[in-house]
Amino acid sequence: MKDKKPTKNTTDRRNFLKLGLASTVTAVAGSSLVSCLASDEEGSAAHSHEQEKMRLLTPEGKIVEVDAKNINGYPEALITPKESRSGIPNRKFVMVIDLARCKNARKCVEGCQKAHKLDYNEEFMKVQLLQDNPDGSPYWFPKPCFHCDEPPCVTVCPTGATFKREDNIVLVDNDRCIGCKFCVTSCPYSARQFNWGHKAKFEDKSEPYSPETSVPAAEGTVMKCDFCPDMLREGKLPHCATSCPMGVIYFGDKNEDIVTNGEETVRFSTLIEERGGYRHLEHLGTKPNVYYLPAVNRQFPLERGFNVDEDIIERYKDVPYVQKLKKEGKI
Amino acid sequence: MKNTFFKYSFLASFIVLLLVGNKNFAQDKIKEEEFNLSKYKTIYKFNSLKQTDNSRLLEVSLVVQNKKNRKDKIPVFKADIDFYNVLGDEEILLGSAQTSEEGIAKYSVPATQQYLVDEDGYINLIARFNGTEELKGKDEDIAVKDLNLELTLTEIDSVKTVIVKAFTIDSLGIKTPIEEADLIVSVKGMLSNMPVEEGTIEEGLFEYEFPNDIPGDDDGDLTVVVSIEDNDDFGNIIQEKSVNWGIHNVTPLKKAKNTLWSDSAPLWMYIVLTILLVGVWANYIYTIFNLFKIKNEGQKLEVTTEE
Amino acid sequence: MNLDKRKRELVKEFSPTLEHYSLKTKLWIGSLVAIILVGVYAFFVQLINGHIVTGMRDNVVWGIYIINFIFFVGISYSGAFISGILHFFKTPWKNSVSRIVELITVLSLLIGPIFILLCIGRLDRLHYIFLYPRIQSPITWDIIAIMTDLVGCFIYLYLTFIPDFAILRDNDDIKVSQWKKKLYRFLAMNYQDTKSQRERLHKITRTMSVMVIVLALVAYTVLAWIFSLTLQPGWNSTIFAPYFIVAGLYSGVGVIIIAMYATRKFFHLERHIRKVHFVAAGIVLLVLSLLFGYFTFSEYFARWFSHKSTDGQLLHTLFSGYFWEFIFANYIGVLIPIFILFFKKFRTIKSITFAAVIAVLGLWLNRFLIVVPTLETPYLPIQDTREAFVHYSATWVEYALSFAGIAAFCLLFTLLIKLVPIIPMSGIIDYEREQNKRKKLKGKNKNK
Repeated sequence: MKDKKPTKNTTDRRNFLKLGLASTVTAVAGSSLVSCLASDEEGSAAHSHEQEKMRLLTPEGKIVEVDAKNINGYPEALITPKESRSGIPNRKFVMVIDLARCKNARKCVEGCQKAHKLDYNEEFMKVQLLQDNPDGSPYWFPKPCFHCDEPPCVTVCPTGATFKREDNIVLVDNDRCIGCKFCVTSCPYSARQFNWGHKAKFEDKSEPYSPETSVPAAEGTVMKCDFCPDMLREGKLPHCATSCPMGVIYFGDKNEDIVTNGEETVRFSTLIEERGGYRHLEHLGTKPNVYYLPAVNRQFPLERGFNVDEDIIERYKDVPYVQKLKKEGKI
Repeated sequence: MKNTFFKYSFLASFIVLLLVGNKNFAQDKIKEEEFNLSKYKTIYKFNSLKQTDNSRLLEVSLVVQNKKNRKDKIPVFKADIDFYNVLGDEEILLGSAQTSEEGIAKYSVPATQQYLVDEDGYINLIARFNGTEELKGKDEDIAVKDLNLELTLTEIDSVKTVIVKAFTIDSLGIKTPIEEADLIVSVKGMLSNMPVEEGTIEEGLFEYEFPNDIPGDDDGDLTVVVSIEDNDDFGNIIQEKSVNWGIHNVTPLKKAKNTLWSDSAPLWMYIVLTILLVGVWANYIYTIFNLFKIKNEGQKLEVTTEE
Repeated sequence: MNLDKRKRELVKEFSPTLEHYSLKTKLWIGSLVAIILVGVYAFFVQLINGHIVTGMRDNVVWGIYIINFIFFVGISYSGAFISGILHFFKTPWKNSVSRIVELITVLSLLIGPIFILLCIGRLDRLHYIFLYPRIQSPITWDIIAIMTDLVGCFIYLYLTFIPDFAILRDNDDIKVSQWKKKLYRFLAMNYQDTKSQRERLHKITRTMSVMVIVLALVAYTVLAWIFSLTLQPGWNSTIFAPYFIVAGLYSGVGVIIIAMYATRKFFHLERHIRKVHFVAAGIVLLVLSLLFGYFTFSEYFARWFSHKSTDGQLLHTLFSGYFWEFIFANYIGVLIPIFILFFKKFRTIKSITFAAVIAVLGLWLNRFLIVVPTLETPYLPIQDTREAFVHYSATWVEYALSFAGIAAFCLLFTLLIKLVPIIPMSGIIDYEREQNKRKKLKGKNKNK
């Protein structure tokens, strides 16, 4: 009897342990499944609500989330497609990009993508790495739409969906565009993009459409950099200019001859004259409104710009300098 | 029996505990960084700006910053800030404001406000945040002398001159020009102000020859802004005035009419197109007209043959 | 010549094709319909999913659809040009081929614009072109030109049908369905073949023939301008318009020869479409291939010689990525037809048709090489990692729709020649009438 008791106890304990383990596993599995489902719901709910949230602290030490007010004043400040055809009166907008300061931080690209609700590969502002000849020095080249004074894209549009305004800005009206893509083929600077397939963001009706915001985009239509007229009407700089940490992008009104990058405000004519400002591919006769300051006396060595994702560096694989660096094993 | 009962109740509570604990654990997973105020330090800034209409704008910025991650800043929202003018033990409440979504509280003290001035001529201002249990209260004081900036824009001998007079007025109404202060003369632009000159007021006076080549707006108007920034004695002061000194020599782009890229096409395009289309379609109509003549003739013939 | 008897004979000769459908015809139509159905399915795939199902992406935004459009419209304009010339100059042997040419003209002008519609991103807004037209745009010019040309070619084709409809209407022996007989009656416009009616018809047909020649020239020029009025390297050429016209004529004559061969074989028209027709068409093809080779050479030689950097990059793309297409289009597609057609010995019906096939294929590739490589070498380098955005490769949707277009063309051709005889009967009668008149005149002079 005495012998049996300990064995019974051990079997009991063993059974108990087995049962305990089994139930623990089931419990953990079951509840994690439940919580997983719960969080999925929360997650999807959060995604469907497009409005951005701001984190704020109350004086009582609690975090609250508030709907971020649109910094461009929409929807109250809406400019309808019809109204957007006449520009902001008495302005001639112009942009100056300082190639000596650009180090491929890509904050301009990201700021623009965020403001216009673009996907990862859709870029109104592109940063290219140009090397004019194999011995020349390569330079980072931020390229928005140039909003030319004699735009070949506006000339060829059969329905007038893209138009040049009095304030120099060239916009696209998504309600009028039929998607013939003639403007995409006729732009020599490859500044335009096409919406090829259906995307969920096209259905987003939280903000009314205006050609000045380019949001929401429409399937089967063309889109491009718009110089952010919605921000200009609020007296703010375009998103690329405010996002740039180096102050590379100056923006202003040619009429009052003032451009600013958010920190420095200078005279446009003086800046161009003293720094040798030029326009890209001037000989094509499109008369662009984006000026470049040559990449002399650079603030940073070019290699700083390779501090980005692999797939972005892959883009520049045809540039002679990049090929040289690859051969030397520096990338 | 007892053992089994024990066993099962223990098991049941164990399971329940797991579930409850797991739920909490899951919730913690969703909000990974549970907000811990102790990890943040408060940044409290107080500034005053005397505006063009002589009112004084008092501005307080209240944000908390993560001690470990300087980029993690959270503004404090709807915190009550009280603005006082103090002299010794006496405190006049100038006004109150709540911080906005950016954590900034602004209050504009009208120009008529009579301030308590100490013996050196300084106005002592305090902006106080009465804290809560969780967030400690804070206050900051600044001392400014009330400076009056007089801005005159005249043409002396057809030279555009900017004359700035800076003086303090004491309780008896006597104007005392200030000794020295740095100022910046700028021109107002659409998006920002462009500095044209940095100078120093000496003996309360500053004269500056305004450049002749600033365009201004379409009518030639421009606004000259004179500002003193972060002065030890006077804080921030701005003063501005509009004047028609713009030369607007930037020739505006002629409104492009009848070009390839405008709404109306060049006139010759309309003419050529009309000629071509009229020519072609007139021929079509002529052809169809003749076709109907053939038909009619045939019809007449049929009728006669039938007869 | 007993007119009625002659008419009866002709109807007897041509009625079998109009009356019944042989098994071969049924199989042929069946397979064409199958291809078209695949194309319709592909169309719906594209309509529902958007243009992402094609191979076009942000740099090469124009692909096979535009290429097919230019190709078909080129054939149409060349057909209009040739039939206009044939008619206006009253070429003696024109009768056997004229209807084939005119049918090709109209049918390819119907199929071509369908491809353009496939390339438009928002078909639901197509009417905006008519509501808000901008006449500075080459596309507006092209639309006006195509519509005008379509109406003109239709009218012209119809004018040539009228006398045949009249003959078929008057003939009671022919065994066709009732609705067809009613159709003949309606479409014949009470044409009784009286002298005045005949003269009037000939007059307006003659003016229309001049009109379609002019229309063909102007309209294809306008289409060439869609490319050459842009700034892009490879497109911004001053000779694009004449180059396109010559190339269009080249492909058009090739298609005509193929159609002549096919109808001759299938409908046993050896008596009407004879070797002399093939040789004449072959000589025209020879001249055109020489002209086409000359224009192509001028384009590429000048670019290679002056080697502007953008031109250099374009040539590099052509010779690296598209080497074999370039060789076929511009060397084989030109030299083989010249070789075959130059020597009298080689000019047999089969070899001429073979040369025509090579010419047509080469010309399609030539269109491809005009559109795609330019878009792959823009002024600012494409710095993108996504392969689809760097190189163009067409998807099954595009190929399916291309073949469906060709099938639709063949189907409409087949169906139309079941309605009207492929050789204009009235043309034969007119020809014989002319011959008799000449004989009589000769006889009169002899007697004198």
